[in-house]
Amino acid sequence: MNYLIGRNRFARSITLPSVIILALTVIGPFGFLLISSFFDWSLTVPAPPRFVWFYNFGLVLKDTRFLNALKNTSILMIAGIITQSLLGFIIALLLNRNFKLKKLAITILALPIMITPVVLGFNWRIIYHEHFGPLNYVIRFLGGAGSSWIADSKLALFSIFLVDTWQWTPFVTLILLAGLQSIPRQVYEAADVDGATSWQTFWRVTLPLLRPMFVLVVLFRTIWIFKIFDPVYILTGGGPGIATETLSLYTYVSWVKYWRVGYTSALGIFQLIIMNIIATIFVRIVMKRRGT
Amino acid sequence: MNINDKKYQEFRKREKRKKINNLFQNLLLTFFVLLFAFPIYWIFIGAFKQKGEFFHYPPIFLVNQFRIDNFIRSLSLGGSKGVADSIIVACISTVLVVILALFAGYGLGRFKFGGQNLSFFILSLLFLPPIIAVLPLFIIFRYLAIVDTYLALIWSYFLVNLPFAIWLIKGFIEDLPEEIEYAALVDGYSRFRAFWKVTFPLIIPGVVVSALFVFVFAWNEFLFALMFTRSNVRTLPVVLSELIGGHGIQWGELSALSLIAIIPGVLLVVFFQKYLVRGLTFGAIKG
Repeated sequence: MNYLIGRNRFARSITLPSVIILALTVIGPFGFLLISSFFDWSLTVPAPPRFVWFYNFGLVLKDTRFLNALKNTSILMIAGIITQSLLGFIIALLLNRNFKLKKLAITILALPIMITPVVLGFNWRIIYHEHFGPLNYVIRFLGGAGSSWIADSKLALFSIFLVDTWQWTPFVTLILLAGLQSIPRQVYEAADVDGATSWQTFWRVTLPLLRPMFVLVVLFRTIWIFKIFDPVYILTGGGPGIATETLSLYTYVSWVKYWRVGYTSALGIFQLIIMNIIATIFVRIVMKRRGT
Repeated sequence: MNINDKKYQEFRKREKRKKINNLFQNLLLTFFVLLFAFPIYWIFIGAFKQKGEFFHYPPIFLVNQFRIDNFIRSLSLGGSKGVADSIIVACISTVLVVILALFAGYGLGRFKFGGQNLSFFILSLLFLPPIIAVLPLFIIFRYLAIVDTYLALIWSYFLVNLPFAIWLIKGFIEDLPEEIEYAALVDGYSRFRAFWKVTFPLIIPGVVVSALFVFVFAWNEFLFALMFTRSNVRTLPVVLSELIGGHGIQWGELSALSLIAIIPGVLLVVFFQKYLVRGLTFGAIKG
């Protein structure tokens, strides 16, 4: 087999440049992160870094602001995943029919996904505006009182959730629609022949066949919401107070406000660990389902 | 057939119910589409509003004339620098990422170089919260004295865009059977020429799609741009965020600049909708 000669060498020589760049961009910095998390080290203090074992990690665990950020991120995650999956699924079902302007409808719905996050943050600030915003106008028009949304510490996190849901429900819709369209017509015909009602077909055929898509949706939304930063930074900056501070935002604040290298590294390591746990759980769930 | 036939009546009833059902679904869908379109419409209309029209109650939902004052003023407020820098960074980043990813994707997809471990390592990079990379990258960039340069941004954008493009292109290559290259190899083509002459032309759509996604990601990126630049380099999102945070927000100018900023993303959605799902799920769904 003449043409197999040089296969591995060729594969190595074309793949290595990317691998080296990624290693430089990732392994170096993360090695640094791991090491610096063991040091008491701040850029604002002239003292040299001091090795302090797990002191920083203890600080993180006792830090109420970290726990608050963890709570906020979890709330956004749970509320976001549930709402976006449901709403996205409903819209996907509505789109999964034959009608004129279907392509147009999908295109319009998909627009939010690719909008510059900073722009949508700014735009929603206008929409949420207490006095001149269209949202309060509609609410007052319908007889409500309106509120100050992002400036109200009780509603601020909900406002962030709304923006995230507005941006990412279409993503869920697109995935589930792709799933719906990939179910072969014959499956439905078979169900019809067997005398299944449309309700039974929905529960027994459509939903089970869509399960892998739902798993994918939940996985992607979990990961994305876990690192949510841009909209929060622009909309509330974590405020009022720390009412909307997410993990990414708190890490940012702890870095640019206090320049604590060691502590922020420990914060980062914690997020890596949490992300890892989530990923592991997911892999387990997916593997288990496939196994049975 | 008798009109009074029972079966026919039943059939008509069912048809009527179907029609009503369909109408209801159309209405519901229209409502959702309008709901999701509204904020985008608001960006668009805001770009043409005059100063007083933002602070007006009830809010102004329509503008009578499309004046471009806001755009012109926004460009002098740092907008032109923002647009230029965004174009420079996004273009260079895209070209480098796509060239690297084309080969790496080929190596991983065709030859399974590094096995599953390397592939999964690359995929896992996409799941990292970028904020974690900010701190160590900042210290490294400071040490190399490249903070606030194009290089810092282009380098840091590798972190997300390179794994993304590699995975996407790898997927497109895996769609093609290896056999298509055999004929060329038997004819004495080198590995590289076989790839270039046979496989590459077939995955051009995939390469284009990857390039567009990478361009939009780099164009929209905010966190790294915020952390690694000061005054020499100012991409559009950074310019926007500073205008938002500044005293006396200039709504009109900001909206005009926002409209400019969303153009690449909107074009991607409108013209490459077919590949949207595939791109956004890193190739997990071929769509």
